[in-house]
Amino acid sequence: HIAEDTSDLLQHVKFQSSNFENILTWDSGPESAPDTVYSVQYKTYGETEWQAKEGCQRITRKSCNLTMETGNLTDLYYARVTAIDAGGRSATKMTDRFSSLQHTIIKPPDVTCIPKARSIQMIVHPTYTPIHTGNGHRLTLEDIFQDLFYHLKLHINHTYQMHLGGKQREFEFFGLTPDTEFLGTIVSSVPTWSKESAPYVCRAKTLPDQTWT
Amino acid sequence: QEFQFGPCQVEGVVLQELWEAFQAMKDIAQAQDNITSVQLLRKEVLQNVSEAESCYLIHALLEFYLNTVFKNYHDKAVEFRILKSFSTLANNFIVIMSKLQPSQEKEMFSIRESARRRFLLFRRAFKQLDREAAVTKAFGEVDILLTWMENFYQL
Repeated sequence: HIAEDTSDLLQHVKFQSSNFENILTWDSGPESAPDTVYSVQYKTYGETEWQAKEGCQRITRKSCNLTMETGNLTDLYYARVTAIDAGGRSATKMTDRFSSLQHTIIKPPDVTCIPKARSIQMIVHPTYTPIHTGNGHRLTLEDIFQDLFYHLKLHINHTYQMHLGGKQREFEFFGLTPDTEFLGTIVSSVPTWSKESAPYVCRAKTLPDQTWT
Repeated sequence: QEFQFGPCQVEGVVLQELWEAFQAMKDIAQAQDNITSVQLLRKEVLQNVSEAESCYLIHALLEFYLNTVFKNYHDKAVEFRILKSFSTLANNFIVIMSKLQPSQEKEMFSIRESARRRFLLFRRAFKQLDREAAVTKAFGEVDILLTWMENFYQL
């Protein structure tokens, strides 16, 4: 009996993770019919049993949120998808070994830019993740990555930029011209894990100078 | 930037470089390991290791990795064309090993033994597998080792 090749039902089974939100995604194969259904299982590396993911059994969509099931930072995980078409043909494919610490991408930070007459203040807000400690405390990116720091740039003109950086959350660019628009970019960076976010961009116009001259 | 494994200090090794070297090999290395139900560097080996124990444990683990895992994985590294990253990782492990001076004093006997029990858990699991599979699995678990080492890394 020659096993039928069903690998065309399913492809690209992988985790997509950003700020520790871990989503399993996959693609249907070139030959698969729209009524193909998918079922997801997951497990911790080193364990024998696969767990069925509730809410992702016999679904037609091609993604499944496994954030809660893969929330332990020091554990590694596998997930696998089984596709079954109307004709009863099935195919199962597994992810690579997944570590949220290694794989998660950092989103741009959330920043408030406050223009004044001769300066612009930038306040970086904490980025909460879905990760909780044992006592229910929700962790921020700064809690998880000890060496996370922010790098800020203020574009003064085509050739000149001001730079600030550090682990603190409040920054201020001084010595600016009143009543002028500036472009600011803020990036989060984690050197040890070679992670860097896309920039948060803010435009701010300094206030007219009210002081009596 | 240095490692501080309890009393053992190791300078001149940049953890990020170790990570970059391993990341370049990780997918190839881990794809060869299809035993998903066994983890050699499991929680009982690495979790809740005291500072005092850490120097003994890292010394034993790196010695094993260099003398057994890397030694037997070298041909695969050539085959998979990852020799440059493989050598970067191995050389950095050699540097760390050379700078570790675990104390042999009598008072440290119980701590040394505790670290040794942890290491033996790892080695026993290693020996329960087929030799080639064990070497492949241990090499694929270097990221678990690096994640643990990070706890002792100071920027």
